[in-house]
Amino acid sequence: MKLKTIVKTFATTLLAVSLTACGQSTQTAKSGTDGYRTLDEIKESGTINIGVFSDKNPFGYVDENGTYQGYDVYFARQIGEDLGVEVNFVSTEAANRIEYLQTGKVDVILANFTVTTDRAKEVDFAKPYMNVSLGVVSPDDKVITSLDDWNSEDEMIVISGTTAETYLMENYPDIKLQKYDSYANAKNALENGNAAAWTNDNTEVIAYALQNEGYTVGIPTLGSNDTIAPAVTKGNETLLNWINDEIVKLGERSFFHEAYEATLADTYGTEYEESLVVEGGKTK
Amino acid sequence: MAETVLELQKIRKQFSDTVVLNGVDLAVKQGEVIVIIGPSGCGKSTLLRCINGLEPIQGGQILFYNERIDTCKDLSLVRQKIGMVFQSYELFPHKTVLENVILAPVKVQRRNKEKVKKEAIELLERMGLGQKINSYPKELSGGQKQRVAIARVLCMHPQVLLFDEVTAALDPEMVHEVLQVILDLAQSGRTMLIVTHEMQFARAIADRICFLENGHILEDTSPKEFFENPKTERAKQFLKTFTYERKQ
Amino acid sequence: MDLGLEVLFKGQNLMRLLGGLGVALQISLISVGFSIPLGILMGLCMTSQNRIGRFSLRFYLEFIRIMPQLVLLFLVFFGTTRAWGWNISGELSAVIVFTLWGTAEMGDLVRGALQSIPKHQYESAYALGMTTVQTFVSIIFPQAVRRLIPLAINLITRMIKTTSLIVMIGVVEVLKVAQQIIESNRMNSPNAAFIVYLFVFVLYFLACFPISLLARYLEKRWR
Repeated sequence: MKLKTIVKTFATTLLAVSLTACGQSTQTAKSGTDGYRTLDEIKESGTINIGVFSDKNPFGYVDENGTYQGYDVYFARQIGEDLGVEVNFVSTEAANRIEYLQTGKVDVILANFTVTTDRAKEVDFAKPYMNVSLGVVSPDDKVITSLDDWNSEDEMIVISGTTAETYLMENYPDIKLQKYDSYANAKNALENGNAAAWTNDNTEVIAYALQNEGYTVGIPTLGSNDTIAPAVTKGNETLLNWINDEIVKLGERSFFHEAYEATLADTYGTEYEESLVVEGGKTK
Repeated sequence: MAETVLELQKIRKQFSDTVVLNGVDLAVKQGEVIVIIGPSGCGKSTLLRCINGLEPIQGGQILFYNERIDTCKDLSLVRQKIGMVFQSYELFPHKTVLENVILAPVKVQRRNKEKVKKEAIELLERMGLGQKINSYPKELSGGQKQRVAIARVLCMHPQVLLFDEVTAALDPEMVHEVLQVILDLAQSGRTMLIVTHEMQFARAIADRICFLENGHILEDTSPKEFFENPKTERAKQFLKTFTYERKQ
Repeated sequence: MDLGLEVLFKGQNLMRLLGGLGVALQISLISVGFSIPLGILMGLCMTSQNRIGRFSLRFYLEFIRIMPQLVLLFLVFFGTTRAWGWNISGELSAVIVFTLWGTAEMGDLVRGALQSIPKHQYESAYALGMTTVQTFVSIIFPQAVRRLIPLAINLITRMIKTTSLIVMIGVVEVLKVAQQIIESNRMNSPNAAFIVYLFVFVLYFLACFPISLLARYLEKRWR
């Protein structure tokens, strides 16, 4: 009977395919009893899982050959090298970075993670490797230079889970926010004129305005000056200490300046180098 | 004297608290045509459905050739011998006319498909549906569908036929063609139980008329007696509703 | 104007997009494969007489409907790790969530299709001496399936499209690859977004169109 053979073939393929799908995946290593892996466990396994952005040029992105690139990735590779382990890059989104750490599905987040007191309750931050504050970019024909006389009709673009979102909600609760899951969606929204402006890390908006004609950074620094740092699962002291030592050690040979020149200089020019880079974990 | 085919003894049927049939006795002999009439909601259709096992009964018994069938586990066997045609001519819409007719003989009775096909085609031709054997139900008129439904039951070779208001859902001009088919069946000596509102038809076809009211059979008599000289007051009233007089 | 067409053909980009489509299709089609039989079973149970069973399935359906798929993905991928320390891969989590969702929706479609078959169809079949199994196999299912096909196809294409959410649990599928490509080229080809998305649209179309073709063929054949 024809139908029977079809059903049988279908069932067999289904089983086979699903088995491969289940088998192929878990590179994310086992989470220990505390929800994280200690330094020794990572070394032993030979692989460190590092969560980075995969669509945030020039910090973390994937080039045309499928290879991770960017400032964060440059640092991540150095960590792998100095630990003597392979780096398994995990593509994270702004909204799931904390979740990834808390469940031990990655060992370190190096995804342009801004240090805040709220986040510090959830994860442990290492020493910083970059400065950042917020900035607001808007179209040239209607540049927004202050948020104090905000037109209540207008909306502001933010990416969910970023500092920009929390800062605006706390300090400008009257501004209506348009939230997007990813950088690319937020960018599309601004370009389609869905909102009046976009608040994001100032590096982002500076780069954005440099590359996209017709947009200006009306507010280059908004709120307090923050730093970007690696984060590990809360309580993972062995790994945290190792990363802190690593940052200090790398500072001795100006590693982060080297990283800036290799990855960020194309985007921001060298004029921003001193103000953006934090060397050896020491903010000025 | 002809053999008794079907016998109902003190049939009692109730839906939760409502008693629909309350002690119905009826014996159907070989080749007899019995027409059951009565006002709406008197339980006529329910009676047929009980015989066919579509409704369980709460009291009494149903005998088919002296064997109890109301307690029978294998309703399928009973239903193959007692065919039923419904008011709402439900053919199977995804099958052609021919497929509708041969489905049960082939699937249920496991008869030879080719032979059944041949018989079905003859049956349909006799009913004037020779052109329609490969049509789908939606391409047929109501009268044609009802005739197919009758053919579908006949093809099972049932020993008793139950007709449940088979013309009630039809347009008036189609009633005749269907009733003619049933009349032909009666003349060929079929045993039948018919529920209908067509009084002229009832009078023409029936060997006996049963007047059912409030779950009882009030009269069980010849058509001539019933229509010309009804005994009960209820039957008189009922028959009156079919005549019209201009008020002076 | 530079449309950025060359971005598509740069390096491995084309293969990466196709690979991303493969991931999306693999996850959605495996889930569909599980959802259809499970959904049929669920639909049958939803039309059964058992009140507790019916109620709990109804509850399950409403629960899955109310929950955004993203929340379900987080629950399975992160939640099971938090609660029990399980480490379910992103792909498997996606298959689990899509199967839970697909089964619920499919179950409701099957229930609707079964209930749309008039009672008389059952009675006519029973009156012809057919058993319950024969009635379902020869009369009810064939009719229900005809009503089901367009709705099921709609569900399948919806499942394929919803795979764009699985990036939130770290599974990189076609839409994410597209965003990666657009992002990594934002300096040299700022207009590439349109062409890349257009290409993704074509890929989705090529994936979904054969499914509608199959549906149309089946509908015709089973008319």
